[in-house]
Amino acid sequence: MSRIEALIELDNVRKSFGDFEVLKGISMFVQKGEAVCIIGPSGSGKSTILRCINGLFPIDEGFIRVGEHRVHELKSDKAMRALRHQVAMVFQQYNLFPHRTALQNIMMAPIQVLGHDRAEVEERARKLLKKVRLSEKADSYPGQLSGGQQQRVAIARALAMQPEVILFDEVTAALDPETVKDVLFAIRELVEEGLTCILVTHEMKFAREVSQRVCFTDHGLIVESAPPAELFDNPQDPRTREFLGQVL
Amino acid sequence: MLGLDYSWLADPAYQRWLLIGVVNTLKLAALSSSAAIVIGMLGALGFTFRIFWLDALIELFVEVFRNTPPLLQMLFAYFTLSTLGLKVTDPSTGLSVPLLSAFACAAISLSLFGGALAIEAFRSGIETMPRSIVDAARSLGYGRWARFWRIEAPIATRICLPALTNILTNLFKTTSQASVITVPELMYYAGQIYNDTFRTLEVMILVLLIYVALVSMLTFAMARLEAFMAFPGYGRGL
Repeated sequence: MSRIEALIELDNVRKSFGDFEVLKGISMFVQKGEAVCIIGPSGSGKSTILRCINGLFPIDEGFIRVGEHRVHELKSDKAMRALRHQVAMVFQQYNLFPHRTALQNIMMAPIQVLGHDRAEVEERARKLLKKVRLSEKADSYPGQLSGGQQQRVAIARALAMQPEVILFDEVTAALDPETVKDVLFAIRELVEEGLTCILVTHEMKFAREVSQRVCFTDHGLIVESAPPAELFDNPQDPRTREFLGQVL
Repeated sequence: MLGLDYSWLADPAYQRWLLIGVVNTLKLAALSSSAAIVIGMLGALGFTFRIFWLDALIELFVEVFRNTPPLLQMLFAYFTLSTLGLKVTDPSTGLSVPLLSAFACAAISLSLFGGALAIEAFRSGIETMPRSIVDAARSLGYGRWARFWRIEAPIATRICLPALTNILTNLFKTTSQASVITVPELMYYAGQIYNDTFRTLEVMILVLLIYVALVSMLTFAMARLEAFMAFPGYGRGL
């Protein structure tokens, strides 16, 4: 795959928290429309990769490009506004704004950050709520919704920014097993529609079904990267084999 | 009844004093409370920038005004601000008078005292808020200002309202100390009346009831505000 065509490009990204080096030289490319899953043991740097891609964490060394934005060169939240318009993120803990209703959560950023027209944004928000099958919860506060419902509102909130890329950070890890499938269903639809997605996940079955490529990370490095059938059925690296042996 | 004599209350002069006292107390409380809230918000906002010298400055302000008696602060304000140079000539009388009246000195010193306490209250509200909510706001493109006003301040205000109610009721009661620097508020006129009538106990009981009534109105209003601002999952919101 060529670097130029890639929508997202990371080259030798390093990141430390204090003395602990979380990322020890991550390089990866993601094509437009591709769904890439990142799997690996806890503490291997999976979530940190996502947070570096949308600039939530500044990196110590290396190069990150998303579309035309050179992320490692952007220094303030203000400078990153265009990047955040292009790259949305969904979090493990949903992180909805507790003082606003589901509908308001979805409408806030497009109106307040992007300056879009309120009426148009409301129409968009209601469509998205319908898409995640929560139309009847428009006026509920996050505190009144179940985890799975909150997470689907969070997905709708991310989509309302009309991003080109969505980063999913272990979005089902905090959910009850029976609500996981609703959230995965919503994500699968987005992948099928051709939205570029990077998913950090522990759902191996889902990773196998939905992604075009799976990256296995261990101790701050991408150990192996391959199409799911290849990586799951015929892992090359012993560390991948050991990890898959434990989780599958 | 218990030998209490309230006949002096029939005197229109004393009625007038009590009325003026109540009005001035309310004015002083309203002014210093509003200013304290503004100072509290600005101070808490200042902390969110995480600039070393700004943090140190706000910290110093909080320590000085929180850790000294408000009465001492008021005397300080009165004897420095009103006597040191700041004088104007009253055009109607031609006399040289202090630029800042005793009332102004009391209002300023109570605002700073209340403000120092309010900074800490708002700061606790902001710092209690999960860091992840701030991350979500950043990931949606919110810059620092918009994040503070649209997300952090509304949630923090809700979280710190009970603490703020405490601060405002205390501030209201502290206005009585302004009598010491001759501000003609309720406590000041209470003293005038019992010096006149020697009915100390009667006057104190009446003034106590007036304070109970006034401060209860404040706490009632704050409770209504709390209910109005409640949202599910936080405090008493359902």
